[in-house]
Amino acid sequence: MDSTKINEQKKHINLWPALVFGGALILFALVAVGVINQYIQTVIMFIGINIIMSSSLNIVNGYMGEFSCGHGGFMLVGAYVSSALSVLLFTDSSWVGHSLLPPSTAIFLFPVVIIIGGIVSAFAGLLVAIPSFKTRDDYLAIITIAANFIFVSLVNNLEFVGGSRGFMGMKNAIYAMEDIIRLPYMLIWTVTFAVLAVFFIRRLMRSTFGKGISAIRYDEISAEIMSVNTNHMKVVAFMFSSGLAGIAGGLFAHVLGFINPSSFNIMKSTESLVMVYLGGMGSLSGSVLSAIIFTFLLEAMRPLQILKWVLIPLMLILLMQFIPEGLLGNRELTDVFPKLKRFFRRRDI
Amino acid sequence: MMLEVKDLKVRYGNIEALHGLNFHVDRGEIVTLIGANGAGKTSTLLSLSRLPQPEAPHVVEGDILFDGESILKTEPHQLVERRQMALVPEGRHIFGNLSVRENLDLATYAVQKDTKFVSSTLDLVYSLFPRLYERRKQRSESLSGGEQQMLAVGRALMTGCKFIMLDEPSMGLAPVLMYEMFRALKELNEKDITILVVEQNAKVALDFADRGYVLDTGEIIAEGSSEELSTNKDVQKAYLGG
Repeated sequence: MDSTKINEQKKHINLWPALVFGGALILFALVAVGVINQYIQTVIMFIGINIIMSSSLNIVNGYMGEFSCGHGGFMLVGAYVSSALSVLLFTDSSWVGHSLLPPSTAIFLFPVVIIIGGIVSAFAGLLVAIPSFKTRDDYLAIITIAANFIFVSLVNNLEFVGGSRGFMGMKNAIYAMEDIIRLPYMLIWTVTFAVLAVFFIRRLMRSTFGKGISAIRYDEISAEIMSVNTNHMKVVAFMFSSGLAGIAGGLFAHVLGFINPSSFNIMKSTESLVMVYLGGMGSLSGSVLSAIIFTFLLEAMRPLQILKWVLIPLMLILLMQFIPEGLLGNRELTDVFPKLKRFFRRRDI
Repeated sequence: MMLEVKDLKVRYGNIEALHGLNFHVDRGEIVTLIGANGAGKTSTLLSLSRLPQPEAPHVVEGDILFDGESILKTEPHQLVERRQMALVPEGRHIFGNLSVRENLDLATYAVQKDTKFVSSTLDLVYSLFPRLYERRKQRSESLSGGEQQMLAVGRALMTGCKFIMLDEPSMGLAPVLMYEMFRALKELNEKDITILVVEQNAKVALDFADRGYVLDTGEIIAEGSSEELSTNKDVQKAYLGG
């Protein structure tokens, strides 16, 4: 029985890397020849950022079954830390004066700055992880909302990063990079980080360690008596999730070139929640799919202006009414369309 | 002495649930704690398995010794790894969304590196409960109550335990399944696994155990070998229906 299984597995060619690299190359080629204009590029960048947001929130809300709705707060931490760093390091500004490093180093250090933003917001994630040892469900949701409010009002009152007026200048780091070689840097980095985020989440959730995170969702007591250190798992899951949100925030800040605290308020967290529930809890491909659909929907509804904020919540209500488990439920795309399995190598449980 | 409980007092908030329990379990024994509802049976098991506060009571006095060492400071997830103690909780607590096989796999969390042990224990579980083998691909919440209980015991075995605590394994089972369950436990005991079983069904429990303790409102009111207890007049009157 086992030998046939191995033979079968050999037939599956892993097309993942080829697909991703091919897609990215085609995308960059199209940008280079000018087929894809600035606007479409921006939409693609937002898709990348939203993919990171939804798939990282899915670790906590989907796989672990806790309810966190303060994801925007961690995005804020990442956005401010990485923007402040890139202004500090790479640009001459009225804020701190002369740049600490030659602006040209941005070309190598830009991803490092984004990742530092992620690391800081991972530690901010502890603020939510520690209360989650004792509380769950609705109470944890309240704590996460509170954390979101804390971050927003903290930054609102921090004069040296602009307070409620917002913070800008990080775009100069991108311009410094473009002075050396003209490349669509932000597009490259958002796509790269989105692909890496999905890749790492997939690896984490497939590992035995990740199975422990899922075990918490199914039954916390059982997980504990099956020797899963639930507290440790929760810390890891919350930190990983909020760290990725921080990375998304850093990218978001550098794409827009301007951030203010109110862009990361509860609305932002709600958007991430909508994406997770649209895609299906505990479904990574669902999160990716819903991030794409949701970003397109937002753009399509742009002419409607303020009416957009009537239609999106309405959409959420209809979603909960008719497909409460989301587009894919807790299945992956390969479970819905089994023929896709031919393209991916799959470990049998 | 494998497990020794010394003067154990536990509280839920302000309410004292156990007023100083003393009992012990020797290696290779089957010991049963019997008692009516609210006697403190589950509280005892929960404090033994060191589950965190909201689920389990707070130990205020006394000590729990396992192999001569106190486990009061041990985290529940370490009990399996370090002490090879496993709990089959009341209400089974299986992972309903997962298949039978996945449930068993998850339980090997602590011993997964030892693939030889994992595959041999899996064979053992399937031979003890052939029903589980038949249904290994089925979602575990679709199993019958008895099969779920078998799965809960199987899962405990997969953790590589030497000491199993069972909380009312007979609950909600048809008599046939109940006897099958106890037969399987007896078989496990012969494979050198020590068993502590908490039961409301005193008759079955005493038929199957070597020794027993009778618990009433947080105190042990009688103890002895199974024969002694089943012939004890008070126990007969209170728990064995005259």
